[in-house]
Amino acid sequence: MTTDTLSATFAALADPTRRAILARLAHGEATVSELAAPFDMSLPGISKHLKVLQRAGLVEQGRQAQWRPCRLAPEPLREVAGWVEQYRQHWEESFERLSHYLRELDTQQQTKGDDDDRDPNRPG
Amino acid sequence: MTATRIDRGSTETTSVYSDGGDLVFERIFDAPRDKVWKAFMDPEAIPRWWGKHGTTTIVEAMDVRPGGKWRYVSRAGDRDDVAFYGEYLEVDPPQGFKWTFMFDVEGVGPMGGPETYVFEEIDGRTRVTSTGHMGSVDVLEGALSTGMVAGGLETWDRLAELLAKG
Repeated sequence: MTTDTLSATFAALADPTRRAILARLAHGEATVSELAAPFDMSLPGISKHLKVLQRAGLVEQGRQAQWRPCRLAPEPLREVAGWVEQYRQHWEESFERLSHYLRELDTQQQTKGDDDDRDPNRPG
Repeated sequence: MTATRIDRGSTETTSVYSDGGDLVFERIFDAPRDKVWKAFMDPEAIPRWWGKHGTTTIVEAMDVRPGGKWRYVSRAGDRDDVAFYGEYLEVDPPQGFKWTFMFDVEGVGPMGGPETYVFEEIDGRTRVTSTGHMGSVDVLEGALSTGMVAGGLETWDRLAELLAKG
């Protein structure tokens, strides 16, 4: 999967109607009219959303059956799940460590005097 | 405060919010700005604080000037090494810098984007604001909604519940 596909996945997920469609499909296959039923939306309107989801690889539609049921394709979602959360944790925890580190530097300076600015990273 | 700010899980010490397509982290450190600058720019300082708890960081490249490359490798016992890398875009000591922040996501490829750091001195303390530009508003919103489900993908029923809340 390329970054472009990933952007398509994220863009597809950004819309609440599309998230609701995915939520419905998580329970099992459904036809387009079944998907349209809970929404105040025309069939073409729903089809438009489905196209976005299909392009993002999140929904597959059967080719054989007349009613062409839609189903969830979980893989792209599994792959991207949580990378922003990872990023968030990275910075939250790094900031926490940085705060400790800066405090340590302070303690070192107080014990060693003010002239150790050139090399504050050696343990004291 | 702008109207587009949405809290994204701030903690006691760190504000985390999205603003349009940006994800912003803000924290005040009890140290003067020069020291904070040095902590970000000294290759010997980076391994002392950079990365999640329990990880070790190896600085492989740190060419601090516009166009210069950086590369940190994060090591932890329970997973393969992860490389963070990019290029310095603007360097303005000690007020801040801008770089690209990339990392490889398994099965996906490089993710990330430009990040801006602003260091403001406030009465001997320093406010650090990190702004990551993750793409369009839609892309960030979608990415955050996958984060919501990251905790438990064991059953699709649980996913369904989370998506429905969306």
